[in-house]
Formats: sequence, structure tokens, C-alpha cells
Amino acid sequence: MNGTNGLLVLAVLIGVPLLGGFLRGVDRKLTARLQGRIGPPIWQPFYDFLKLMGKKTLISSRATLAWACGYLALTLLATVLFFLGQDLLAVVLILGFGGACLALGAYSVRSPYAHLGANRELLQMFAYEPVLLLTAVAIFLKTGSFQVASVFRQEGALIHSLWPTFLAVLAALTIKMRKSPFDIAASEHAHQELVRGVYTEYSGKSLALIELAHWYELVLLLGLVFLFWARPWWAGLLLAVFSFFLEILIDNILARLRWRTMLYFTWVEGMGLALANIVYLNLIRGLL
Amino acid sequence: MRLDWLVAWLVLLPIVAGLLSLSVYRSTLRKALVLGTAAILAFMAVLLAAVTLGKGSPQGLDTAPWLSTLINWLDFALVAYFLYVGFRWRHYLVAGLAALQGVLLSLLEFWQLPHGLTVHPTFLLDPLASIMVLVISVIGSLICVYALDYMPEHEAHLHLERTRQPLFFCFLVGFLGVMNGLVMANNLLWLFFFWEMTTLCCYELIRHDRTEEAQASALRALWMNLIGGVACVLAMFLIYRTLGTLSLVAVVQEASLGGALLLPLAFLSLTAFTKAAQVPFQSWLLGAMVAPTPVSALLHSSTMVKAGVYLVLRLAPALFGTVLSSALAVFGAFVYLAASLLAISQTVSKRVLALSTVANLGLIIACAGINTDLALAAALVILIFHALSKGLLFMTVGIYEQQLGSRDIEVMEGLVNRSPVAAVVGIVGMLSMAFVPFGAVLGKWASLEAAATSTSAWFPLVAAFIAVGSAASLVFWVKWLGRLLSTVPLREEEKLEKRKGVYAYGTVLGLTGLLLVASVLVGGLVRELVLPAVTALGYQPQVAANWSGWGSPYGFFTVWPVFLVAGAALLLPLLTFRARREDYRPVYLCGENLAVEEAAFRGIGDQPVPLETGGLYLSASWGEARLNPWINLLGLMLLLVILLVAGVGA
Amino acid sequence: MGLLTKARVKSPWLLHFCSSSCNGCDIEILACLTPYYDVERFGILHMGNPKHADILLVTGPANRRNYKVLQNLYAQMPDPKVVVAVGTCACTGGVFHNCYNIMGGIDKVIPVDVYVPGCAARPEAIIDGVVLALKKLRGELEE
Repeated sequence: MNGTNGLLVLAVLIGVPLLGGFLRGVDRKLTARLQGRIGPPIWQPFYDFLKLMGKKTLISSRATLAWACGYLALTLLATVLFFLGQDLLAVVLILGFGGACLALGAYSVRSPYAHLGANRELLQMFAYEPVLLLTAVAIFLKTGSFQVASVFRQEGALIHSLWPTFLAVLAALTIKMRKSPFDIAASEHAHQELVRGVYTEYSGKSLALIELAHWYELVLLLGLVFLFWARPWWAGLLLAVFSFFLEILIDNILARLRWRTMLYFTWVEGMGLALANIVYLNLIRGLL
Repeated sequence: MRLDWLVAWLVLLPIVAGLLSLSVYRSTLRKALVLGTAAILAFMAVLLAAVTLGKGSPQGLDTAPWLSTLINWLDFALVAYFLYVGFRWRHYLVAGLAALQGVLLSLLEFWQLPHGLTVHPTFLLDPLASIMVLVISVIGSLICVYALDYMPEHEAHLHLERTRQPLFFCFLVGFLGVMNGLVMANNLLWLFFFWEMTTLCCYELIRHDRTEEAQASALRALWMNLIGGVACVLAMFLIYRTLGTLSLVAVVQEASLGGALLLPLAFLSLTAFTKAAQVPFQSWLLGAMVAPTPVSALLHSSTMVKAGVYLVLRLAPALFGTVLSSALAVFGAFVYLAASLLAISQTVSKRVLALSTVANLGLIIACAGINTDLALAAALVILIFHALSKGLLFMTVGIYEQQLGSRDIEVMEGLVNRSPVAAVVGIVGMLSMAFVPFGAVLGKWASLEAAATSTSAWFPLVAAFIAVGSAASLVFWVKWLGRLLSTVPLREEEKLEKRKGVYAYGTVLGLTGLLLVASVLVGGLVRELVLPAVTALGYQPQVAANWSGWGSPYGFFTVWPVFLVAGAALLLPLLTFRARREDYRPVYLCGENLAVEEAAFRGIGDQPVPLETGGLYLSASWGEARLNPWINLLGLMLLLVILLVAGVGA
Repeated sequence: MGLLTKARVKSPWLLHFCSSSCNGCDIEILACLTPYYDVERFGILHMGNPKHADILLVTGPANRRNYKVLQNLYAQMPDPKVVVAVGTCACTGGVFHNCYNIMGGIDKVIPVDVYVPGCAARPEAIIDGVVLALKKLRGELEE
């Protein structure tokens, strides 16, 4: 690894959580404004994180903490690899391992609410994982390489020919950002009927680590959105910001749906669009 | 050492040891016999790999003509035995298929083939064969050693008057030799003989417990595999008519003949599918799970079912660029998806493992169908790591089964507390099947990339099947892992590992070590073992591999950072973080908990109600009853399409 | 004030427990979450899980049927934590005082830091009580 890459890794390690936490703050502020409230300060997520880090450790299983660390570490690694321009498919698979760690931590103690949440987390992965894998394939068809870096060597924006895939990514993004109507694993807005679903048995430091991992994940996913319009860079940035606001809007205007609807929607709408896109691109490639 | 001696040792030693064990009733003697055979066999396999990799080019080996004649007569003896089995158990499908096979075989031998036909060479030793021999002789030997602990315990539950272990070890150990012969054979007649021998071993080992269920499952396995045998004889007919020889290597080399060879190749693929229990033949493998667990580990996951995919891989170069190849890719990917979906609703651990085996074999076949250098490399990586992981998982499940008296996943709840060593081994095994950076999933990663880089018009379908199947496999592995992990804080569980059998635990731990080392060094493995095999098959590999990982010009997977990060993140907290007793709190139960270590809550009248949790099976959506008809129908249709495509091409 | 203390004060997550109250105070607590009062301004979130909570709001008196539940929830909250008794009943037993099943105020069962009297306690009073509780987190309030 050379010096530039080292700096980049350092920037990702420090900068990404700052950006992610800030975005989460914007998210909460905006949600409050949409509900006619004033809402917490933008820096609220950082206060929450610090407070959770400072809580005394009470546990119901030692393994829970280990899996929380695993979730953070693998998400972090996926983010670093993504920003280093590495293999996109590998990034998705590593992210999948991370997501599974979250469920495994919830499984590691016999707790009905945590298990229910973990089961639903699995269903969420079942819904979005194929979409993300096919997205990587679709991007490959356009760029000729699975390396993220190749997107930047591409003339023009991917979204011109990959807009169906982009719509599919938006569906996956709703699940990954834990937004209504698909926040079925944990009910993010303290709706409480699952208690806290998959997070029920995480507390204090382990919950803080999970929160941190969410920040990395958020930036990584917005990075994925960015790829669709990477040239010029400001267009990608706008696209990412637009998607982010769109998800917040969707979150606030829709009620939570059942898991069957989630699977049906992501598979038929999400995968259907991505697959149609791939078939079309493949035909074009055959003709050329 | 001379090659012919090496081959003789690899094939004959296990068979002789197996026959010897028929007369061995003393357990110490049996242990010595099995351990000795295992050690020599593993050593020979490594030697063979070193020799073939060192030589560079494939080595042919001829045998004396009288051996071929002997093999021919043994073929008929086998058919006669199957015929007897069919009538003995009044299973007229078996009898009919055996009879058909006998008639076809007589026609082939006495009518079509000239007397004293010699096929040159009888054996072909190339890197692909070496990889298979390594898998069979190293992992297979470990499983045989494991059986030394498993079988006495198994028989203790059966209350037999007289031990049946001699017969069991005869087939189990002898099978290794048969299997070694199969993967080295180049003469199709020899291949057919070994093929039928594995069918025989399979039948005898499934029915080993002599229960009604075992007998029925064994007969089902038999008739399905006999279909494969019939298809194989038909293929030999057509191949001899087209090429005038029965050499496997010639078939691959004469692929330029194109159309005329397509039909026999399709028949050989059908043979392979029956052996690899591909949809719609998966039911025999599921039924075979009634057999003692070492059988499932050896025959039904790491070796015998691999014979099917071995044959497809061997023939892949002949299919290059044909429609049949695309059809194989779609078929294999479909099987991967179907079996993965079916596995979600399974509550019996061995059936989950069986369906995951079917799925991975399907993925290997899909790779062979995608038919690029990267795909072939992916197929071999999956083959190697699947054998390691699944052999390990079957053996571990065998240990659980004897500790718990059940194969049900639900009963395994909280095993990390009750049976820590075996549970950790199982967790490693399952992680290695479900997640990167372990080899089996790296193979999946490469197969998806290979699918995307192929030029076939059908590849989007293949990619979609693989993507969904991959997500489905995540669901059933994580669910099962969750069951093992689910513990009650501070509860003193009854420990199940009172007696850690040295052979069972030794082999399981050894295999875990092997799996971990191979996973970390996967790049080296690809470079030193897999790429030579791909090259020897006639591909120009663009696959890049070094000690840090492997990939293609399209993408690279660096393995060590993932191992480093995941390992550190999961192990360091467990090693450094010590919790005091007073730091433990019960799980959240709306405050109605009893004491921390009691998994119960206060119900009506303050009566304690035990707390129960269950896994996620989704049987209403992905239950067997609901999916099976569709999956079998689609599988059958795809199979017909394959034959049709080949027939039209011819 | 250190950063950690500041974070603690800025991010108090509530757990609300109704211990045989008449529901009057509970409704007032929920009123605090509405846009009109909007306690999320102060970073306050309403949690359903004691393992994530910092402040325990209890309404109603302690009773013999479910005081164990209250103790249990209290034990499941990681330190530092604060308890606010909301309403007269939670403070002293209120109108339920001397009932056969009532033990009195919740301080009979768990240590209480802040008492918010009222029947029902008004949302402003509850918010005041929570702010007072935050002082304890800040270390300014000694028993």
C-alpha cells in the first residue's frame, strides 16, 4: 500500500463516521421538521454515541459484544475497500457478512424480541442482497470491470443506461437505511412493538459500535448511489443527496409493511428492473 | 516411485484393506487397519499430486489387456447383483433398469465393440485427477478414521447381537479405492465399472442399518443411479460409433466434431446429474441421510456425489461454445437456487446439509456450463472447499447427533454452552459455507463474476439464480448458527462432551485446521493446484492468483484483510473482555423475568412459564410440499431441454 | 463539564413504566412527545427497552402484584441512570394510599431521584422534572 492509499484509508476511517453521523443528524432534524417539530440539534447522533460509549457495561452474553465488533469491523472494511476502488462484488459480500453478524449477535442469547428482530433482519438481507449483487453485475456490464475504480475511467454517467438498476438500488436503500416501510427488523422510530427488535439485547458500548457501523454503512450506500453519476462528480453528489432526502420523505409518509410485501416488492420491482436492465445491456453487448 | 505403482496403491490398497476388514472383528485390529490405510493413502495422494504437477503434461498409463477383460466381466456381475436386488426386494424399477443395463451392455460388448478392444491410455493422470484424488484420499481417509469412533457408539444404540462393522468398513474403506479409480480412469469402460461400483457402495451403505426406511431409501438411490448407468452405456454406444474409441480424452479432443458428439455428451451429463443428485433426482440424496453419518460425510457430500461434477468438469472443454454449455449453466444455477430455497424450511440438520450439497454441486455444474477459465477455477475452488467444509459439518453433526440423540436443529439450541468444542467447530464450518472470505463463498463470488463475463445470452438468468440462491443460503446458515449460539446467561448447562472420542474430535479438529489454513492460503492454492488443472483442461487462464488472494482481470479478492479484520473483531472481545457475575442481566422479558439464569417468566398466578424460542423456517412460503412439485417439474423440463438441444444439434 | 457528561445530559433516553397508575399521568407523558412540547429538542427519545434507557419515568404507586417488574426493569438499566416519579401516586401512593394491594410511593421499591407531584402531573412539570434529573447526571445534584 502506498502513501496515497494510506492517507485515503485514514480519511475514510475518520471522515466517514463524521459525515455519517452528520447525515443521521440531518435525517433526524428533517424528520422532526416534516412532523412539525423543532427536532434535536444536528449533532445529536454524536451525543448519543458518546453517551452510549460511557455507559456501564451490562451484558446478557459475551458473544453479543463480539458480534457487534464483527459487524462494525466488517462494515468498516467494506467501506474502506469501496473507497479504495476495490471489487464491488467483494464489497457487497463483505457487507453481507457484517449484516449477518448483527443478526448473530441478537441470536446469541435466548431473547424472544431479539430473535424476532434477527429473523426479520435475515428476511431483509434475503430481500436486498440479490439486488445489490445484481447491481454490481449491471455496473460491470457498463464498465467492463468489477473494480469500483473503473467507474471513474468511464466516459459519461452510468445512470443513462442503468436507470432501472438505480431504481432497484433505491428499494434496497430503503431497507439498508432502515426506513419505513421496510424497517421491519427494529422499528427505528421507537414504535416499540418489537421493543427494539434486533438491537434489544445490545446495550451501552455494543449499541454504540452498532450505531457507528450504521454511519459507515450509510456513507457506503450513498457512495454506491454516487457511482451512478460519477462524472461529473457534483452530479453524483446531487444524486446521492437527492436519494437521501427521498428516503427520508418515503420514511415519513409511509407506514411499515409486512415482510411478505417487502420481499415481493424488492424481488419483483427491484430485481425485476435490475434483471431487465442486465438483459437489455447483454443484448446490446451481443449486437456490438 | 513409478506411476503405475502409485496408481495401484491408490486404487488397490483401500479395496484390499476393505476386504481384509471383513474378517476383522477385534476393534483394535480394525483401528490399526483403518489408520494405516488412511495414512498411506493420504501420503500417496500427496505424492501423486507432486508428480503430476511436476511433470506438467498429463500422464497416460496403460494396463494389461486381461485386466480390461476382467473389468468387463465384473460389469456383468454387478448388473446381475442389481437384478437380484430388484427381485429380492420386489422393486421392479430397479430390476427393470438393471435388466436394461444388462441388455445394453451385452449389445455394446458383444456386438458393437470389436473383440479385444484396447483403449489407450487406461488411466490418465492430470492435475484435475490429482485434485480429486487429494480430496478423496485426504478428506475421505479422515472421515474413515472418524467412523472408528462413530460406529461403536452408533451400534450401541442399535442393540445388535453381532457387530456389522466389518461389512461397514469394507464398503467405506473400499469405496476410497473405487473412487480413486473413477477419477483417474480414461477408458470409459473402466470409468463405467468404477461408476457402478460407487452405486453399489452407496446402496449397501445406505441400507446398512437394515431398517425399513433405510432399505427404501437405498432402493431409491439405486434406481436413480441406475438411470445414470443406462445413460452412460448409451453414451458409450454413441461415442464409439462416432469416434471408434472409448477414450475420455479423445472425446474432449475431438470436440471439434461438434454436433455428433453433443448427444453422448448430454447423456454423460445426465449420468453426472443422477450421481450428483441434481434436481429432479435430489430425493435420493435426502433419503440417503438415514445412513450412518460417516457415510453421509464421505459419499454424500465430499466425494461420491462429486464424481458427477467431476465428469462434467472433465467434459467442459468439449462443450465449449455449444448451446449445451449454456443449457448446463442455466440448469446448474437453477438447481443452486431451488436447493437453497428448499433448505430454508428444513428442520433436520442433515437434510439442510444435503440440500446445501445439492446446491453447491449445482453451482459447480453452472460454472462448467459458463465454461470460461475463471468459471472453471471457481468450480474447482468450490469443489475443494465444499469437500472440506461439508465433510467437517457432517462429522460435527454426527457428534451432535450422538450427544443429543437427535438430528433436529431446534434441539441444538445453545450448544455453545453444552458442547463447546464441537459447537465452535460447527460454527467455523457453517461460517465457511456462508461467508466470504472462506473458499466456498469465494468460489461463488468468482462464479458470479464469470457469469457476468461470459458472452452467453442466457447469463442474466444464471446471474439472477446465483444471486437469489446466495441470499437464500445466507438465511438458512445464519438461522442454524443462531440456534447453536442461543444461550441463557449464567446458566450452568449439563455438559454433553463427557467423552471426547480421540478419533472423532481429532479428525474434526484436524479438518478445521486444514480448512482454516487452506482458506487463508486460497490464493496460493489457486495458483499451485487449481490453475494447472484449468490449464491442463485446455484453457488459457487469465486468472491472477498470489498468496494474498485471487481474481481475474475483472476483479480481485484480497483475502487476508478480511480474515485479519473479522478474526480480530470476533476473537479479541472474547479473549480480552471478562464479565463479572454481577454484570450479567437477564434478557428483556417486559420485566417479568425470574432469576438471570432461569429462562422463564412469571405467568398467570406468578407461575413460572418456560421461555422458548424457535428458528426461522418459513415453511408456509418455502415449505417442501409447496415448492417440490414446481421445482421437480422445472428441473425435469430443463433436463428434457438439455437432451432436446443436444439431439437437435446432432 | 467534560464531553462525556455533556453527551449524557444531551441525550437522555427515557423508559416509561406505568405501575398501576390511572393512566392520567401516562397521557401527559405522551403529550410531551407531541409536536407541541417536542422533547426530542433536548435529545430525549422514548425507548421501549430498559437496556437502552437512561431515565426511568414511573407513574402510579408501587403495588404488590408488579413491584418486582419495576425492580427488574430498574436493574436492567445500565448506570448512570436516574428515576423520576411522575404524579402524586408515584410519589406517595396518592389516592390509592392504604389500599390493600398498594405499598405506597415507588420509593418503597426502587431509589427515586426526582419527585414530580401533580394529579395528573402537567407536561411542563414532567419536563421540569426530567431537567432536574439531568442535573444529577451532570453531578450538580447531590441526593
